[in-house]
Amino acid sequence: MTRTRLHIGCALLAVTVALVHLPGLAHAQSSLGIGTNDAMPPATGLFAHQLAWINLKQQEFYRALAGAIKAMRQDGSRVWLLIGLSFAYGIFHAAGPGHGKAVISSYMVANEVALRRGVLLSFVSAFLQALTAIVVMVLAWFVLRGTSVSMTDAAWFLELSSYVFVTAFGAWLLWKKAAPPLLRLLGGGSTLPDGHYHADGSYCTQAHGRLRYAAPVASLQAAGELGGKFSESPSPLWGGVRGGGNHPSQPLTADVCATCGHSHAPDPSMLSGDRFDWHTAAAAVAAVGIRPCSGALIVLSFALLNGLWMGGILSVLAMALGTAVTVSALAILAVTAKNWAVFFAGDGSWGARIHSIVEIGGAAFVFLFGLLLLSASLAA
Amino acid sequence: MLLFGSGAASAHPHVFAEARLDVVLDAGHQHVTALRHLWRFDDLFSSTVLMEFDKNADQKLDDEELKEVSDTIHSSLADYNYFQLVTADGKDVKMRPPAQLIATFDNQQLLVLFESEPETPIPLAGKVDFGVYDPTFYTAIDFTEDANMAVEGLPDTCTRQVIRPDPDTALAQNQKTLTEAFFNDPAGTDMSKIFATKLELDCQPKG
Repeated sequence: MTRTRLHIGCALLAVTVALVHLPGLAHAQSSLGIGTNDAMPPATGLFAHQLAWINLKQQEFYRALAGAIKAMRQDGSRVWLLIGLSFAYGIFHAAGPGHGKAVISSYMVANEVALRRGVLLSFVSAFLQALTAIVVMVLAWFVLRGTSVSMTDAAWFLELSSYVFVTAFGAWLLWKKAAPPLLRLLGGGSTLPDGHYHADGSYCTQAHGRLRYAAPVASLQAAGELGGKFSESPSPLWGGVRGGGNHPSQPLTADVCATCGHSHAPDPSMLSGDRFDWHTAAAAVAAVGIRPCSGALIVLSFALLNGLWMGGILSVLAMALGTAVTVSALAILAVTAKNWAVFFAGDGSWGARIHSIVEIGGAAFVFLFGLLLLSASLAA
Repeated sequence: MLLFGSGAASAHPHVFAEARLDVVLDAGHQHVTALRHLWRFDDLFSSTVLMEFDKNADQKLDDEELKEVSDTIHSSLADYNYFQLVTADGKDVKMRPPAQLIATFDNQQLLVLFESEPETPIPLAGKVDFGVYDPTFYTAIDFTEDANMAVEGLPDTCTRQVIRPDPDTALAQNQKTLTEAFFNDPAGTDMSKIFATKLELDCQPKG
């Protein structure tokens, strides 16, 4: 919990610092100098066609959205049109640029997160983003007006904080994933060829499969092997299937693997059936969620100026719901792809290696992505 | 691939402006001496501007607050050549930054007006192209009708055409350039050039 508190503390501190120190600094975060742009280079090549299409759709939605808010001004019952459009806007918006889905997907790839938890993370981060937008708007309306701190400043600062968090989070994730294998590599490289890692981080110098047919409980062992594969390529897909037991093959493999010289007893956190690290998850959510979406800010201020508080908030929440749906879908896709890769690589050293590589790659991606966003944001 | 695909995604417009461009000729109708721009911003963006610059919280922008708006936009646009791309026979023409910009509100919409001059008057000979667009994709500058890109007193020797590239065709035609641009020009200026609505004047030498 300490880390969660730390992050919440950081976020609060960030807002405070923003309010105290930003006056006087003029940031041209967008080309017009008003509002913030998504710090993303335009895509070209392979995905350009699809993205251009998404761009067009987003423009159409944006206009329809503006129209819906105006219509609501005359007729309160049109609020459903607004909510529906906002939801659709959220879905399309998340299919375009944005760091949220990239961070959440990479986080899920780099960690053994059950899919339903990943989906939960997507939803929590999307709604945190909506909440940030609402909080920024409330601050802008009640506190910042009449001061020299503009909403652009506040949004820019939150965006920057978010990118700093993403970078730091990526670095930390990378260290966690890459350091142990690196250290082992430096320590006992000669034992590597036959070895593999277990989900609990222990290292086995012998492939479990070796003794499969020698074992008297061949069929049982085969079943255990299957379970073992899933626990080593701990696919969230199988999280539900595995249920509470995280290492169902444990007793069997322990029997056959006497030569390993390792205890395969899972650590207590594994036995509890919960290897999910809430601290890490909270960090990922916070890193994504403290950056308000500029689309949400724009809709909110329009709604506010027209005295449509409720409409604005409902619209932003519907947007968050749509965003969460898309981010979840993309995250599920990424994790499924990883699981297939590991599955086809098979059991033993290759599966474990691919698993490690994918995890380290995911962590490295979060880190580099954070750096890219940060530098783009600072350069603007 | 999926992650990288979504990572390298393109930005999209958050702001829409209906625009009008007036190309100003000299007295003899032989040179372009100035470009006059008028942009009417959408309701949503206009309200964020109102909210952000309304220092005395009276729900409207007075002259001082409007000056602040125009100064902010003026200094930001300086980095983007005031959204202008002018070429004469394919060669870039240097435009002078406007001395100032006028920002005002009309019917709850922000209007921005300014005038920019070429460093030397552009002779009306061959193809002269005028593009107005935001290279960062933040603002979508729309010329809703061809008549909104106007030239007063265009000589008979010239034809005037408004080119609106179809995104699909533009992408297909420029696939190779786009891929190169992605590596050489991460800011994507070349990309936006391809999609920009342009006014093209094609003038034959007098004979």
